Amino acid sequence: MNKPERGIQFWRGLTAGAEQLQQYKELLEVYDSRIGSFLEIDPVKGAALIQDRRGSGPLAGVPFGVKDNIAVKNFQLSCGSKILENFISPYTATAVQKLLAAGSIPVGKLNLDEFGMGSSTENSAFHPTANPWDHAYVPGGSSGGSAAAVAAGLVPFALGSDTGGSVRQPAAFCGTYGLKPTYGAVSRFGLTAYASSLECVGILADSVHTTREVFRTIMGADPLDQTSTAAPEGQADTAKSSPCTIGVLKQPEGLDAATEAVYLASIERMKDLGWTIVPIDLSTLEYVVPVYYTIATAEASANLARYTGIRYGVREQGTANHEEMVRLTREHGFGNEVKLRILLGTYVLRSGFQDQYYVRAQKIRTLILREITELFTRVDMMLMPVFPVSGFRLGSKQMTPFQQKMADKFTATANLAGIPSLSFPAGKAGQLPVGMQLMAPVFHEERLFNAAEVLSGGRPIELAPGSLVLPDGYDAKAVR
Amino acid sequence: MAPFQTFIGLEIHIHLLTKTKVFCSCRSAFGDPPNTNVCPVCLGYPGVLPAVNREALKMAYMVGTALNCDLSMHTVFERKNYFYPDMPKNYQISQFSDPVGRGGWFEFETGGKIKRISFHDIHLEEDAGKMIHDGSRTLLDYNRAGTSLLEIVTNPDFSSGEEAEDFLQAFRRLVRYLGVCDGNMEEGSLRCDANISINRQGKGLGTKVEIKNLNSSRFVRKAMAYEYRRQAKTLKLGGAIVQETRLWNEEKQKTQNMRTKEAAHDYRYFPEPDLPPFCPDEGFLMGVAEAVPELPFFRKQRFGRQYGLTAELADFIADEKFRADFFEVCVDEGADPAETAKWLKGEVAKQLARREADLEGSFLSSFRMAELMKLLGSGRIHANIGRQVLELVLDEDMDPVRLIEREEFAGSDDREALGPVVDQVLSNNREAVLQVRDGSQKALGFLMGQVLKTAGQQADPKLVRRILLDACHEESPARKD
Ligand SMILES: [Zn+2]
Repeated sequence: MNKPERGIQFWRGLTAGAEQLQQYKELLEVYDSRIGSFLEIDPVKGAALIQDRRGSGPLAGVPFGVKDNIAVKNFQLSCGSKILENFISPYTATAVQKLLAAGSIPVGKLNLDEFGMGSSTENSAFHPTANPWDHAYVPGGSSGGSAAAVAAGLVPFALGSDTGGSVRQPAAFCGTYGLKPTYGAVSRFGLTAYASSLECVGILADSVHTTREVFRTIMGADPLDQTSTAAPEGQADTAKSSPCTIGVLKQPEGLDAATEAVYLASIERMKDLGWTIVPIDLSTLEYVVPVYYTIATAEASANLARYTGIRYGVREQGTANHEEMVRLTREHGFGNEVKLRILLGTYVLRSGFQDQYYVRAQKIRTLILREITELFTRVDMMLMPVFPVSGFRLGSKQMTPFQQKMADKFTATANLAGIPSLSFPAGKAGQLPVGMQLMAPVFHEERLFNAAEVLSGGRPIELAPGSLVLPDGYDAKAVR
Repeated sequence: MAPFQTFIGLEIHIHLLTKTKVFCSCRSAFGDPPNTNVCPVCLGYPGVLPAVNREALKMAYMVGTALNCDLSMHTVFERKNYFYPDMPKNYQISQFSDPVGRGGWFEFETGGKIKRISFHDIHLEEDAGKMIHDGSRTLLDYNRAGTSLLEIVTNPDFSSGEEAEDFLQAFRRLVRYLGVCDGNMEEGSLRCDANISINRQGKGLGTKVEIKNLNSSRFVRKAMAYEYRRQAKTLKLGGAIVQETRLWNEEKQKTQNMRTKEAAHDYRYFPEPDLPPFCPDEGFLMGVAEAVPELPFFRKQRFGRQYGLTAELADFIADEKFRADFFEVCVDEGADPAETAKWLKGEVAKQLARREADLEGSFLSSFRMAELMKLLGSGRIHANIGRQVLELVLDEDMDPVRLIEREEFAGSDDREALGPVVDQVLSNNREAVLQVRDGSQKALGFLMGQVLKTAGQQADPKLVRRILLDACHEESPARKD
């Protein structure tokens, strides 16, 4: 493999000083022009946010990208929406703040489906993002920009957000690791809300090692997010290592041939490692999607009510009164998928309909959690597909928005139950990577990392063709 | 008996005296320049989250305790959804199905009797900002957005506007006692909406009409009286009452329609996913119980029993917590309760009013007050001097004893100091002395006049009289030189 060495020294070299940061910026602009993963690129501005880039920690001097629905002071926070096109964040999200404290450098903001609503990043109001493995394909979504940037070797890791699979699905499509942590393990302060009770700040990274380091850095209770909690003591030490017991779906329905083949191959690989495979039924799986969309849209209808152009964002000009200003600002500022979900959420919360939809969905959510909890008394982890198909073409309408929603059932399970899940590269379907996911009980992220470490043999991901390489004559003395 | 029965309920909002807003760390203050007490959280910026203020929760539970509510052990915040420019998130974080307190009752005096009313619930929520119309422009000030509000909803238990007014005054006294609200209705820190329905005696509730814009407890009484007349007239003529919201117009002394029916509003309440339910632990509840003082209604009764204060004096002393505490410290220091109460209601109140000051901010500490009362009680100074000393304490920040020394009030009151003057007068008026011995009041009066003329204003007539009597009766040749 004639790939560049991607150890910490490589990344530190790119951020070593003002000159290198400027060069890195230019490199990012060139490489990203092919895939469109970034919405804003500015390593110089990012480096100005940190106090001590020469720290000794494992992330000191290491660059990262941030999904553009997570706040970084002085950077844009568009959420992939026209309504926030001009919005510059006056504050920094807690997860990013923790990375800054560790000396890690934010280099830009990454593309996404508007407000995190979508599975292809095609719902971005600005431009689509190409899958670095095949530019005709979507990178997945909604954290498609984050996944593409990591797969293309532009950054070693990126922050994303996962409401129903938005970290794991693009990670699977682009061949990176993708962690959706336990609900509350990482502060949501600074993550623009779509569905508050489901979403987490997640990590897309080029190795299990990096994923683990980043998770350990950003986790922890935050007084600014009262739904955040500290992990119980000692989870890292008692995390089960190989061999372990894995629950697998008896009949994983609706998978395309390539995905099914990778799923079965993953099971075989685990057997080879001496792990115990336990076939399971997940009777609540068929309710996951309706329950997920009922709760997510209900919360979204309130969360997105604040965008009116009154205090910030793009404002409709020349309107007669404030009602008209708000109405037209929202009409012109939001994309169709966002409008659909706001309407749906408003509908399920209407008085007289709440019991039938919202309240019922919450009851089923409790049943799903109960089944999953019971399951984890028998198995250490669960192996699930991430997405039923191995990828689809940009602009192809190969999957309708409805089909894309139905395809969230494997990922959204973890969001409804609040459990951690790690998506990992598990095979290929032709050119394209295929990912699988492991789920563990709450606060057992370390168990996931240990298992993935064994499965990968400790190797980092394979980067997509055409990934970032240093040009001839790159100032080598900086790359210490 | 009136042909119609009246049912009045109140919805009261109080601004809690928390240092910071209810869900962010901005200062909770009024009257600052527009949009100076704001941050991304209370402006509803993308990505921010609310973090509930423990102090606000404590105050809410204190009010719940004082109003005898069933306190929630699992209280839930909910989103109340509606669009309004002064509400940054376009939903208000409030409470609905699991409020801080439910039920509860409160007793107060009205029309010479004690009335008990009950509550529907009390709940904690955030306030909105303010819209200011400025010619063709509308300006927004978000300083108030996110400040803590506690809403207290009574059942329709009041049968007249007078009762509602008396309740509001007693309630205002209560929240000031608890230290959770300054109770200022004019400035809007205590706001009140009322609902009223009337019906033929014994027929139960009628059609509810809501009245807003009641900026003083007086307005509540007047608006309720007006509404009674208006509705009774309609019913007498065989008409039906329209369910509506009306505004009190103080200038015109009448209520006017604001909007008809509220069916258009569907607030789509649902639990706030950003805030976990609050489950008070034992430590929190103990802190709440400790922070709730003896309440004014009961304290007043105790003052009557324990110190023999008249109802009027007890009412005055118990009205303000600071004053009542002040009074009890004086008593503990040895001051006479009845005299202290009289002085506080009389001379002290008068002097403070003259200075436009209040007791709490004045130089008159309870220690100084007790000292003054003891000086008066022992006869060392008389009331006239007491008043002068009080004025000096209020103006000069000095202890009464030191003031008396400085002004030489004590010197002239002292037997010792009066001695030479008395001796002089006695030796100059032997005739009168003999008459006093024979019981002549007139002669005594004459001698007193002589002494006071020489000793000056400060001398206490009572004391001079006593000294003179003593001196006349025990007069011995030895004293004549
Ligand atoms: Zn604030």
